[in-house]
Amino acid sequence: MSEQKTALERRDFLKLGGVGLAASALSACATAAPERKTSTTPTPQAAQARPPSPTPEPAKPAGVPRRVLGRTGLEVPIVSMGVMNADNPNLVRAALDGGMVLLDTAHGYQDGRNEEMLGTVLPGRKRDSFVLCTKVFVSTLDRKTGQFPKDTRPEEIGEKLDLSLKRLGLDHVDVLYLHCQSLRESVLFEPLLKALEQAKASGKTRFIGVSTHKNEPEVLRAAVEAKLYDVVLTSYNFRQDHHLEVQKAIAEAAQAGLGIVAMKTQAGVYWDKDKQSPINMKAALKWAVRDPNVHTAIPGFVSFDQLEEDLQVLRDPALSREEEQSLVEPAKVAGLYCQGCETCMGQCPAGLPIPDLMRSYMYSHAYRNRAEAQSLVLALDLPAAPCDDCETCPVVCAKHFDVRARVRDIVRLRQVPREFLI
Amino acid sequence: MRVLLALSAALSLASAQAPAPEAKHAAAPEQVVSAWFPAVPGFRVVEGPTAYAPANLFEYIDGGADAFLQFDFEELQTATYLNAKKVEVTVDIYRHKDPERAYGIYTQERPTGSTGIAVGADGYAGQDHLEFVTGPFYVKLVQAGAKDDFVLRRFADKLVDKLGGKRNLPAVLAAFPQDDQGNQGNKDDKDNKDGKVPRAEKFAVHNFLGHAFLHDGVAVPYQQGNARFRLFAVRGRDDTDARRMVERYRAVAKQPASPVAPSGNATLNDPYNGEVWLRWSGRWLWGAVDRPPSSAKTLVERLGQALQSSDQ
Repeated sequence: MSEQKTALERRDFLKLGGVGLAASALSACATAAPERKTSTTPTPQAAQARPPSPTPEPAKPAGVPRRVLGRTGLEVPIVSMGVMNADNPNLVRAALDGGMVLLDTAHGYQDGRNEEMLGTVLPGRKRDSFVLCTKVFVSTLDRKTGQFPKDTRPEEIGEKLDLSLKRLGLDHVDVLYLHCQSLRESVLFEPLLKALEQAKASGKTRFIGVSTHKNEPEVLRAAVEAKLYDVVLTSYNFRQDHHLEVQKAIAEAAQAGLGIVAMKTQAGVYWDKDKQSPINMKAALKWAVRDPNVHTAIPGFVSFDQLEEDLQVLRDPALSREEEQSLVEPAKVAGLYCQGCETCMGQCPAGLPIPDLMRSYMYSHAYRNRAEAQSLVLALDLPAAPCDDCETCPVVCAKHFDVRARVRDIVRLRQVPREFLI
Repeated sequence: MRVLLALSAALSLASAQAPAPEAKHAAAPEQVVSAWFPAVPGFRVVEGPTAYAPANLFEYIDGGADAFLQFDFEELQTATYLNAKKVEVTVDIYRHKDPERAYGIYTQERPTGSTGIAVGADGYAGQDHLEFVTGPFYVKLVQAGAKDDFVLRRFADKLVDKLGGKRNLPAVLAAFPQDDQGNQGNKDDKDNKDGKVPRAEKFAVHNFLGHAFLHDGVAVPYQQGNARFRLFAVRGRDDTDARRMVERYRAVAKQPASPVAPSGNATLNDPYNGEVWLRWSGRWLWGAVDRPPSSAKTLVERLGQALQSSDQ
C-alpha cells in the first residue's frame, strides 16, 4: 500500500520521507545515528532479552526522578528516549524496561519506518505504561521564511496522524506536535491550530504541542500566547550561545503551565567535525535536566551502551563540578565555530550570505575540510570580488568575528582546482 | 576514485553556475544540466542544482541527516524539472562513500514488502515517487503537478545512464541462502511464505544489533512457519578485528574470558537481543538471532560456507 502524496508535499516527501506503508515492520537490527562516545563500560542491568511477541512489562524501577509534564499532568522520568535513529525494537524494549516512559518519534523519521518499528513494540504493552509523542511536519512550511502559505492544507495533520496511528498500532498518541516551527505567526497559524484542536477532540491525541529547532524563545512565547498547546519540544543545550535566553523562555512557558521537553541536549556529540574531540555526553544531558523547568529530555541513542549511559544519568542526574568543567568548549574550536545564530543576517550592504560564509571559513580552518568549504562557497553564487565595494564592514558578528577578513579569505577557495583540496 | 573526484568537481562548478534555488530559469531542453543531472526531453530545470555537504545536510532533511552520515554520505545534489504540461519532477541524488553504503541507507528507508523494479541495483516505486540505488548513488524522485504515469521511470533510466556505477547488489547478500531445505513441511504449499524474506535485509555500518562494538553488519529476515528470525553477517577489517568483536560480544554475554580462536562458535545470551548463535572464521562473524528454530542451523552453516568462500 502506498501513501498518497499531494503536489504540495513533494519537497517535504523527498526531505522527510514517507515512502510507503509497509504491511508489517520487521524486527530490525541495523541502526543509523550519530555515533556517540560512551564514557563508561556498559552494565546491561536495566534490560533483559525480550521475546518479540507482546509481553507484560515489568514494574518500573523505583527511585527514578520524575517531573510533571506541565498541564498534561503526565508524570515522566526526566530522561526519555529520542527514537529517531533507532530501528532496533529491542533497544526500545530495553529503554522502557530500564525506566524510561516517554518515547519521541515523528511521522517522517526513517520514511515512516521509525513509527512502524515502534508498532512492533508498543501494542502489547499496557497503554498507560508509556507516553508516545509524534510529530507532523506540514509540507507547505517554507523553510526559508518559516511561514505557512495561504494554500496550506490543515487536513494534512489529520491525514498524517491517521497514518501514524496505523503504523504505531495505537488508537491514540499522547502528544502530537506541530513539527519544526521557528516563527510566532506560524505557531499561531489559525488553520493549523484548528486542525490540532480537532485531532485532540477526536481522541486521536491526548495533548498537542509544537516543536522548535531555532528561534526557540519566540516559539516558546508564542506557544504560551496561543493558550492551546500543552507541550513544547525545544532545542536546549549548553552550547547554544543564546541558551540563557532559551532558559528564560522555558521558565516562562513552564510557569504558564506548558510541558517542556528538551532535545538536542547532546549538542552535536563532538566538539569538532573530525570527531576527534567528543563532548561529555552524560554531562551535557545532566546540564539540560538540571533546569527544573525542563520536565524531560529526549537524547537519541542507537546502542545499548548509549542507553546505559542515559539510564545512569536518569538515576543520578547531579552534575558534578568536574562534569561542568568538561563542558567548556576547547578554545581552538570556539574561536572558529559559527553557531549559525544569524544575527548578522541582513547587515551586509551587498547582501552576502554571511552565516554561510562564516561556516565555510569554519570548515576550512577549524575542520581542515577545504573541499567542503569550497563546495559551500561555490554554491553561494557570490559576486566576483565580494567586499571590494565597502571601505569598512558594518557587519557585527555576535562572536566578534572579523567578518570582512574571513569573507575575503574564504572566497579565494573558488579559484583552487578541486584536486588540490581532496 | 578519480572519476568520482572529477564528477564531484564538475558538479561543484555546475552548482556555482546555477541560480539560487528560488530563482527560476529555463534551460534548453536538450542541454546537459550537470555531471549528474541528465537532459530529459521536454523538461527544463527550474530549481537547482543545489548542493549539500555532510556539514549542512541537516538544512535539507533535518534530523534525518544523521542516518545518512552514518552511511558515509558525501554529497547531495537536488534539482527540480518541469515540462510544458506542468509535470514537475524533483530529483535528489545522494552520493555515499561506496556502493555498499549507498545500498545500506537505501535498505534503511525501503518499505518492507515493497515490490522491486529493475532500475539500477534495486528500486521501488509508488504512485508519485520512485527510489533506486546505483553505484554509490541513492536517488529519490518525486512527481508533482500534472499526471504522467511513466515520467518517473523515464527519469530513472536517464539517471542510471548518467550516473553509471555498479548495478549489482552488495556481494555479501549472495551468501545468504534461500531456504530451500529448512521447511519441508510446507513444500507442497504453493502459498507458503517460508524462506528468506525478500528485499528486507538491512545494513548497518555502526551499532549492529545495537552493539557499538559490532560494525559493518547485515541482517536478513527469514520465516519458517511461525518462526521469524534473522541471519546475520559481520565483516571485520581483518582477522584480528573480527576476533576482537567476538571477544567483546562474549564479554557482554558474560562468558568467561579466554583467547578467541581463529574460528569457532558459541551460543551467547545477549542481555538485550536474547539467544544469539555466533560463528566466526577469518574476518567474518555470522549467525542467527531472534529465537531461530533448530532447523535454521543448516542455513547458518551454509551462510558461513558462502562467506568464507567469498574471501578465497
